[in-house]
Amino acid sequence: MLLKSAFSPIFTVIPTTNIHRKLLRFVITNALTQACLQNVRQNVSMYAEANPSSLLVVHKLPPTSAYIHLPFCRKRCHYCDFPIIALGSSSSSSFSSSTRTANDDCEDPRILNYVETLCREMKATKLSSDSNPPLETVFFGGGTPSLVPPNLVALVLDTLSSKFGLCANAEISMEMDPGTFDEAKMKQLSGLGVNRVSLGVQAFQEELLKACGRAHGVKEIHEAVDIVKSCGVENWSVDLISSLPHQTPDMWEESLELAIQIQPTHVSVYDLQVEQGTKFGTLFTPGEFPLPSENQSAEFYKMASRMLRDAGYDHYEISSYCKNGYRCKHNLTYWRNKSFYGFGLGSASFVGGVRFSRPRRLKDYMGYVQNLENGPVNHSEDSFTDYKDLAMDIVMLSLRTARGLDLESFGEAFGGSLLLSICQVYRPYVETGHMICSDSNGRNITSDEFSFLLSDERKMNKVLGFLRLSDPDGFLLSNELISLAFGIISP
Amino acid sequence: MSSLYRASKALKLCRATPTSFSNNNYTSRLSSTCYLDSVLEWTQSAFFATHSSHNAKPTIDLCQYSSDKIRNFSIIAHVDHGKSTLADRLLELTGTIRKGHGQPQYLDKLQVERERGITVKAQTATMFHKHSFLRTETEFLMNLIDTPGHVDFSYEVSRSLAACQGALLVVDAAQGVQAQTVANFYLAFESNLTIIPVINKIDQPTADPDRIKAQLKSMFDLDPSEALLTSAKTGQGLEQVLPAVIERIPPPPGKSNSLLRMLLLDSYYDEYKGVICHVAVVDGALQKGEKISSAATGQSYEVLDVGIMHPELIPTGMLLTGQVGYIVSGMRSTKEARVGDTLYHTRSTVEPLPGFKPAKHMVFSGLYPADGSDFEALNHAIERLTCNDASVSVTKESSSALGLGFRCGFLGLLHMDVFHQRLEQEHGAHVISTVPTVPYIFEYADGSKKHIHNPATLPSNPKQRVTACWEPTVTATIIIPSEYVGSVITLCSERRGEQLEHSFIDSQRAFMKYRLPLREIVVDFYNELKSITSGYASFDYEDADYQDSDLVKLDILLNGQPVDAMATIVHRLKAQRVGRELVEKLKKYIDRQMFEITIQAAIGSKVIARETVSAMRKNVLAKCYGGDVTRKRKLLEKQKEGKKRMKRIGSVDIPQEAFHELLKVS
Repeated sequence: MLLKSAFSPIFTVIPTTNIHRKLLRFVITNALTQACLQNVRQNVSMYAEANPSSLLVVHKLPPTSAYIHLPFCRKRCHYCDFPIIALGSSSSSSFSSSTRTANDDCEDPRILNYVETLCREMKATKLSSDSNPPLETVFFGGGTPSLVPPNLVALVLDTLSSKFGLCANAEISMEMDPGTFDEAKMKQLSGLGVNRVSLGVQAFQEELLKACGRAHGVKEIHEAVDIVKSCGVENWSVDLISSLPHQTPDMWEESLELAIQIQPTHVSVYDLQVEQGTKFGTLFTPGEFPLPSENQSAEFYKMASRMLRDAGYDHYEISSYCKNGYRCKHNLTYWRNKSFYGFGLGSASFVGGVRFSRPRRLKDYMGYVQNLENGPVNHSEDSFTDYKDLAMDIVMLSLRTARGLDLESFGEAFGGSLLLSICQVYRPYVETGHMICSDSNGRNITSDEFSFLLSDERKMNKVLGFLRLSDPDGFLLSNELISLAFGIISP
Repeated sequence: MSSLYRASKALKLCRATPTSFSNNNYTSRLSSTCYLDSVLEWTQSAFFATHSSHNAKPTIDLCQYSSDKIRNFSIIAHVDHGKSTLADRLLELTGTIRKGHGQPQYLDKLQVERERGITVKAQTATMFHKHSFLRTETEFLMNLIDTPGHVDFSYEVSRSLAACQGALLVVDAAQGVQAQTVANFYLAFESNLTIIPVINKIDQPTADPDRIKAQLKSMFDLDPSEALLTSAKTGQGLEQVLPAVIERIPPPPGKSNSLLRMLLLDSYYDEYKGVICHVAVVDGALQKGEKISSAATGQSYEVLDVGIMHPELIPTGMLLTGQVGYIVSGMRSTKEARVGDTLYHTRSTVEPLPGFKPAKHMVFSGLYPADGSDFEALNHAIERLTCNDASVSVTKESSSALGLGFRCGFLGLLHMDVFHQRLEQEHGAHVISTVPTVPYIFEYADGSKKHIHNPATLPSNPKQRVTACWEPTVTATIIIPSEYVGSVITLCSERRGEQLEHSFIDSQRAFMKYRLPLREIVVDFYNELKSITSGYASFDYEDADYQDSDLVKLDILLNGQPVDAMATIVHRLKAQRVGRELVEKLKKYIDRQMFEITIQAAIGSKVIARETVSAMRKNVLAKCYGGDVTRKRKLLEKQKEGKKRMKRIGSVDIPQEAFHELLKVS
């Protein structure tokens, strides 16, 4: 009774636009179960209108990004645990730059069938709202998307465009592996609108590429770079993996040097994760020979950070570096906890505040699409947000970026006392230099100042700007540091 | 009442539950643990047993059994010499339990007893046996009082023996006299019991009864011709046992025309009946409904139920001179039932019976909830367990590392182990226990003395100079095949032992007596002894005096901060070695953290051992998971959960296993 009356004014105060109607519903269902999060609820009603970029609503806005999974590979790399479909080398898809034409792969019915299913999934997807902003970023990930014939990529883009709309200047990225495309294919893809290429280089040493089970050699890398450049793709990225088996510091240094030499606008540096169920997982134990020791692989990370920054790259996320103005817009969607569509085998989507991963097995995925067409798959649209989950996602994602956690927004969304507790748990690490705090003007503040500010909540709210992990020491221990905040948010 | 209810429920005679009382009863039964279920099972069968016996023959009339038709005896033996199996056979032979019915080792009721093949709690069973004695066929009432074999429970042994006039000394026909045989023999001998040697397991191919007879003669001066040869397994020779008990062991000496005096032997708590006391009627007689008083507390009770253990509780309405049975008297907690107490008729005046040796706590250890928030649960579990094991002393204590917990005193190491196991098995408690310590005495320059049960309470840098310290010692009996004498002497001298006796039982077996500091045998002495003698050594000890010793407190420091729960007291000469072992062990179990961790062992302000755990260099997820945020988060949540299971000291996280591992350092 009491709750009802407490909430009735909201009905009258808030104008009933679409977003707000939805918001209201969730405010009320939550009120019954989450009485403890009184502050947050008040914040929702207060800020939703005033501040559409509030952390509490940003993920509920309609998506403007789409991830498309194209799972085909010629073979599985030894470290890979993604949902892929290995085509094998016997089929027409085996590529040799001298003997192939770009349209060979059309003949592989597996690709055609898959892309058709993919398009059916997009068509069957319910739009998340009536006002449907066009897509600003599209990301073709895999697998090896560059194995998919351009005419099928065109089909996907057409479907996307007619269903969701596509901005004229949308960032359309594609992961491409050396040895899987020639100049003609690249040109076709550019013509379709692919304007960002992420090149799966991984290493510049023949023996390492072989040991990873990569389907290309060093020669193919340089050919691919030449193709990308000659086709006028100016926004392109190189992927590198550190801590590979038998990788020496010299090799890693060489890879970084060569990567810098070919002048990509973006570099992604991944640290090998030995996953269960992969070939590496059965062969190796992290930190043990032939994998580099923990110290060694920390050195690799530092070396990348130093060399790439010296070469003019901005280390804007734990594993991402770019030249000025070339951040991957699509990935920023993830780091800012914004919503995005996901289509295709095993892909993850985040729509209406709900995270959903599609089946990782082809047969299950086909069934999923079938169901989707037969009727709405209930993503439980009315599902209420768990604020702890939301806060943890925001901390985790923000702290992966060089920008860090926006303390003001976080405090507004989740309350000053949670913010204070998080700052307190990080205080020792501001002291050790693993974390850096800046004020609202972007100026770094000392650990003494930081400690002092924590003693005065009012001042704290005014002064503090961002809290971020330092590069490279903080980034290197990001799991430890982020899980500290988890312990505070959800003890 | 409750058993009647249960039985009727089982018989489906009464479907409706008429009163809320029985309703409650029923729910509490449903929620009972497995252990209790098994207990209930036999209570239920006991009901049917009494029920049918009501029809077949009248209630057992104890009046038929005057003192001269009663024999009270126990069985004493080294572990594994077949004591519990022999007890089972005697119960079967007399029809007390049906053959092949119920579980073997009938009297070992606790899970821990069955698992370890040991007896922890003394149990009693009454049997009836017809025997032609003095040329008349007479029915005898015989009370078998089971005893624990292990030295830790000699307290239980002594109280069992207090109700007996004789004992069967069971010796394995192949292994011969072992350390506990010696210890138990002397306990029985000192209680003036008639001893009947039983050479058991004669069916074994390696059995050598003649050699054993010779050992019994040389060690205990027992007449070889008196030894009974049996095999509890095949049944061979068992028929001689009860006649020998009747003929050789004297009847209980009490006076039936005197005022009532009962010795309280044991007590336990039953969920339905409340406190049940085992008693031996020394003089006089007890009737149901009478008022009795306790000599120790002065409290009075009404005897609500009285009977014998046959082996289930069988009400008889009375207990007469020399008989052993149970009483239910409305005591609220076993703390009121002081073992060794004398019970008598209220308003009569009697001389209290000599009580027996009180429990002496030899080993102390802190018990803490594995998860700090579980203190109440642990408190409850300990309270319930001490209801049935009053020999544990419990005081609250707190540790900066482990939070609130308990300092518990145990009779010995096995007792401590058994207590832990029972806490976990019967009460579902998860505990961290600290390194066991023995009770030390420190004397300061101003003449004050301090008894230390917890090393953390000993100041590391005392204001007063320590002028003397004493530590408890034991007299250890070790029996080994002669070829191991050399290595056992080496072990004992490493453990600061002093040889008191060295002789030979026969051509193959050596007998040694050592005085050893208790501290030296607390942790791993027995394991070490067994390993250097390929398992052939037998070992037993009894407590001896305190001895003057050069003791120091060894602190363990993490990043300069002492960890109270890890402090130990050691002999100065051993401090270096123990300190090094402790820090090495800790280094293995403390994971790298975001900063460097120094682990030090120190005496006062002097550091004697040091290790460092270097800072963690890398823990980052630099992989293209793209939008798969859920997966990323699961990894981090797992990491967070991992931290939760740690104990935090200063800024250092210590995994619980580290505490368990430290127990294993001598």
